[in-house]
Amino acid sequence: MGDLKNKTGIGNLDSPKLPYDYSQREYGTVPLDTTKRAPFQWVSEVAYKNVHRIVARGYDTTELMEEGYGVVDVLFVDFQSRIPLIEEAKMLNYVMILALEDGLSMPAVMARITAQSKTFLTQACGASVLAFGHAYGAYSAFGNRLEEYLKRGKEQGKSLEQIAVQLVQENIADEALGVSGLMLKDPAAQRMLARAEKLGVAGEYIAFTKEIVKAAQQLSKEPVDLDMLGATGATMMDLGFTPEATWAIMACTRALGVGAHYIEEIEREGYTRTGQNLTPKEDYDGPDDRPVPSLKERAKNAKSAQTKTPDEWKKAFDEKKKIFGSGFSIVEEIEDPSKKTGIKKVGR
Amino acid sequence: MKRDPLFRRKTSISYKTEEKTVMRGYDLSELAEKEYSFCDALFILYQNRIPTENEEKMLNYEMGVFIEHSMSPSAVGAIGVAMGRPNLPASVAASIMTFGGVHGPGAAHGYMLNKYIERAQREGKTLKEMAKILVDEYLDNGTPVMGMGQPQHIDSDPRAEPIHLKQEELKVDGVYLEFQRALEEYFHERRRKEGKSYVGVNVVGSGNTALCDIGFAPNAAWCIGSVCRGFSCSAHALFNMKKGRAWGASRQEPMVQIIDLSMIKYIGPPDRKVPKQEERQEYARKQKETGEYKQWVI
Repeated sequence: MGDLKNKTGIGNLDSPKLPYDYSQREYGTVPLDTTKRAPFQWVSEVAYKNVHRIVARGYDTTELMEEGYGVVDVLFVDFQSRIPLIEEAKMLNYVMILALEDGLSMPAVMARITAQSKTFLTQACGASVLAFGHAYGAYSAFGNRLEEYLKRGKEQGKSLEQIAVQLVQENIADEALGVSGLMLKDPAAQRMLARAEKLGVAGEYIAFTKEIVKAAQQLSKEPVDLDMLGATGATMMDLGFTPEATWAIMACTRALGVGAHYIEEIEREGYTRTGQNLTPKEDYDGPDDRPVPSLKERAKNAKSAQTKTPDEWKKAFDEKKKIFGSGFSIVEEIEDPSKKTGIKKVGR
Repeated sequence: MKRDPLFRRKTSISYKTEEKTVMRGYDLSELAEKEYSFCDALFILYQNRIPTENEEKMLNYEMGVFIEHSMSPSAVGAIGVAMGRPNLPASVAASIMTFGGVHGPGAAHGYMLNKYIERAQREGKTLKEMAKILVDEYLDNGTPVMGMGQPQHIDSDPRAEPIHLKQEELKVDGVYLEFQRALEEYFHERRRKEGKSYVGVNVVGSGNTALCDIGFAPNAAWCIGSVCRGFSCSAHALFNMKKGRAWGASRQEPMVQIIDLSMIKYIGPPDRKVPKQEERQEYARKQKETGEYKQWVI
């Protein structure tokens, strides 16, 4: 062991409560736990396979296809463990067509940029999925908010209309509201809800979303209407998909489309080499060009980050906020998204 | 709200205005309203055409059988990423990115078929003759033939032959299926003669053949296969996130977890002392001289 052996008195390393002697800690791996617990296995409620079959939620997947079920049916099987009604399958099919292509939006751009580096197509498609966050493709944030407000509102005995007003009042500027000025001239979002109603699959989430639209139109200073996030999110939840399942299904659906963008990027634009791209100085608004001081002059030029009092800390913190790219002006709440994701506001 | 283009490109795939989103000339909303299927939309996207009914059925079948495959590298990747509890898309992306040269190498299979079919055409050989050449060239070279064999479905992939049969049933079989069948026939014959065990066609060999016959280019077919697996991997990641333990190392679980400390088996260099800085240069020089370290370089 190196110098650590002599560093007693540092932190808690020599505390009598420390259950081992830090300076004498052992080498070697931990023996296999063969006596007390069952050995590791992949535990799944979703699917299993053996040498001769692949089974999802109890259904043999090849037999499903032989029986005439299709892609959208399997999504209901995998995520909801059920065969959908024909109307539900039709509706999901409708939603997925709308989600397949979105022009040169972020997923396509991310795939195209990845493609320029001469990667596998699958890397580009994977990269496109990463575009889905709590602003773009914010299905998890949207859906979980709907669920949270509905639950709370019902417990308080409020009507859908009242809950919607509260939701809009508290979240009117949020990117995942599902209502915005994006679809004022494009009827696609409204048509999706109309189709859901026509097919008889519209339920509480669509009804609630329509109330949210009404509330937002009353409370917003700008003209707003249902957008694709709201239409898709509400429809998917009325089809029984959780906000997280919706998030994943929409991201994968879009990734199926961005494969074409990956291909076209290579066909028409080619690859980019390391160091090839320039950043024009006119786009730069950082410190003026300055000479690099010699190492001998380090002490004269160096600035220490340590502060000794909360007041000093606060002053330094506020100063650092002015440095774009430092991260001090962003606050994120990084929580375990196991159960619900995207409710808390993140960002500036 | 700023709606400037994020990225400027000449594209023949789609455009989006305030009024509509148009893919290959078709308004997406209209496609959905007119009750085209999602699979139809994929044909329009990748091939700029509306497919025949049977072609649409074939794609639906192929994607349907391919979506779910329980524990494959893709699902394991999704679950592995989910264990750290990032946002779900990170798991989904990881699952799709597991598809490479070995796991579902659909594009490689397609390129192989295209290369040898073109050679048959150029050299005036029948598909059967060229399939034999392909198998011999691959096996003589010690290279696995793409689309044959599956490490879990060792008796033959349960999805594979039904896909071939479905292609024939739907009458969407073409030059690719004829070539693939010939390839399989000779592959089996050669292995039998060499006294080797049966290795069946896998879902890439059959599914990708079908995708080729219904007009998809190798990379388009690969996208369809690998990305549609992302759907099911999302379900596996979500199961882990919602019902499993994060981290995968808890000692409170009745079953040993995947990264329990006891799961680590180390086979690297033996434990050794960190050299002091004053010894460093000499120590490092000796290490370079003996070259013992080279056996560990990866």
